[in-house]
Amino acid sequence: MLIVRRRAGQAVLIGDLVEIHVLEIAPGRVKLGVVAPREIPVLRAEVKLTRETNLAAAQGVPAEKLAELVRRLRGEAPRRRAAAPGAAGEPSEQP
Amino acid sequence: MQFCTRHFGTIEYDPEAVFEFPAGLPGFEDQHRFLALRQPNIEPIVFLQSLDRPDLCFITLPVQTIEPGYRLAISAEDLRLLGLPEDRQPEMGRQVLCLAIVAVAEGRPPTANLLAPVVLNLENRRAVQAILSDSPYSHRHPLPGGGEEDTVCSSCGAGPARRS
Repeated sequence: MLIVRRRAGQAVLIGDLVEIHVLEIAPGRVKLGVVAPREIPVLRAEVKLTRETNLAAAQGVPAEKLAELVRRLRGEAPRRRAAAPGAAGEPSEQP
Repeated sequence: MQFCTRHFGTIEYDPEAVFEFPAGLPGFEDQHRFLALRQPNIEPIVFLQSLDRPDLCFITLPVQTIEPGYRLAISAEDLRLLGLPEDRQPEMGRQVLCLAIVAVAEGRPPTANLLAPVVLNLENRRAVQAILSDSPYSHRHPLPGGGEEDTVCSSCGAGPARRS
């Protein structure tokens, strides 16, 4: 990783097309301005993390893991019963 | 209305129960319509079933069941998408339902994304996965089920127990 020290008002250039400006520095946070062409998406890293976790979550959860999770959340003792998409019956309620 | 899902078979639903995600969800930007489904036998889990993709169903938990003191910090942009006033956070439970998407990976404890709750506006049925700004929460918040929270006492071998 390249590490650069910058002050408020200074900038970093990435190639010819991307500029990152340090606009404001406050205790614990920094305000950045990004200049980039439209075709280069600029995202907060949390968006990427959420995309990755969403894609992983969409793979589904094995029935026995889900049943185990429900038992733990309810504070019940382990028992052999599976309930999950696939194993579950008709959904009954729509909030 | 009827919809054929992969996990639940054909389900009957009220069109008024559909939640509209104007921006989709990160990774699923083209998915705009979901149903929130509950089943008494596996409360408190809420399934978020896509009405565009029969095989897409997220497993979620209301955030308060994971973190009772959960605090929302929805961005102005997301509040606008939800059709809510931008000057204050909505009231969880009454105005909005906040669900954390659960992921279970092999060999790891299940986790929930508390950093980016799915916020459902119960009044106008609009919804968004709100990536909270300045949030103390993780996108991989560990859930019970990994076995760590009830490991036995290493010195005496006793599990969590009450003194008699």
